[in-house]
Amino acid sequence: MRIFTVLGIIFYASILILIGAALIVSSFNILQPQDINQLFVYLQNSLNSRIIVGLSGLLLILVSISFARLILGGYQRQKTIAFTTSSGEVTIALNVVEDLIKQLSSVIPEIKELRPDVIADKKGIKVELNVVLKSEANLPELTARLQDITKAKIQEVLGLEEEIIIKIHITKIIAKEEKEKKRKDIDKNESAIPFGGYGRV
Amino acid sequence: MMHREESQSHYGTISIHNNVIASIASAAATEIEGVKNIGSGLKSRLWELLGKKISSIKVDIDAAGYVSVEIPLVIKYGCNIPEISNKVQENVRLALEKMTNLSIKNINITVQGIEKS
Repeated sequence: MRIFTVLGIIFYASILILIGAALIVSSFNILQPQDINQLFVYLQNSLNSRIIVGLSGLLLILVSISFARLILGGYQRQKTIAFTTSSGEVTIALNVVEDLIKQLSSVIPEIKELRPDVIADKKGIKVELNVVLKSEANLPELTARLQDITKAKIQEVLGLEEEIIIKIHITKIIAKEEKEKKRKDIDKNESAIPFGGYGRV
Repeated sequence: MMHREESQSHYGTISIHNNVIASIASAAATEIEGVKNIGSGLKSRLWELLGKKISSIKVDIDAAGYVSVEIPLVIKYGCNIPEISNKVQENVRLALEKMTNLSIKNINITVQGIEKS
């Protein structure tokens, strides 16, 4: 899917670049209207070239439609998880799952920040977790624990038996030294205030 | 939300406004333990900016007189969403049937958020 997205982006970027280049060329008077006219006359004179132009147009329309569907389809897929009960449909916004995962940072003390990104498709629920850790912990153990807790919590709250894939990216580890340094800097700044010791009684 | 469900009685016509159906659904939904509050849609938020409160619950009555209700919900953290949704659907159905005698087609739930109580 990503390859198609990249191809689509390249396609649209090249078309826009071509239009931009044509405008620049025409502003420098390098390309005359007659040249463009000649090109169109040439294309219309021969049956083969007309077929090629027509097919190119059709191809452009098909590429545009498929690209739009790819983007819109992906967007729709990423919005909700839905299931049907006897009384109707239940739709769960994916930001609900993200909020749920964010609350888990209070369960594991080593985690400073948790930024989840949840995608739901036919295969199941994919969760990408960007984690900032407070201190140096045993990463394999911690990440395995985080994966287990996240998976269990999603299954418990959503009650769904779909496959849950959890990817973890540790984006930063805030070392103790760094934290202490920051604290010292704050203390220094506070004491450096001129006449800071003179307070009103 | 401008539709009214009409029924004929011995003395005349009884019409129930969609807002009434939405209010009943809202009350029945919030009765369930685990429901934090009714969510808000874009339309209701825009009206709120203008100082008017409207329900974000959508009510639709088809040509045959069947009622479909769409309820956005915010659920308390730690609750089982399908279980709460089922309870809400059941309670809303019972409340609507009891109070309005309408035929309920669908009660659709959209869980918009999760909040810690």
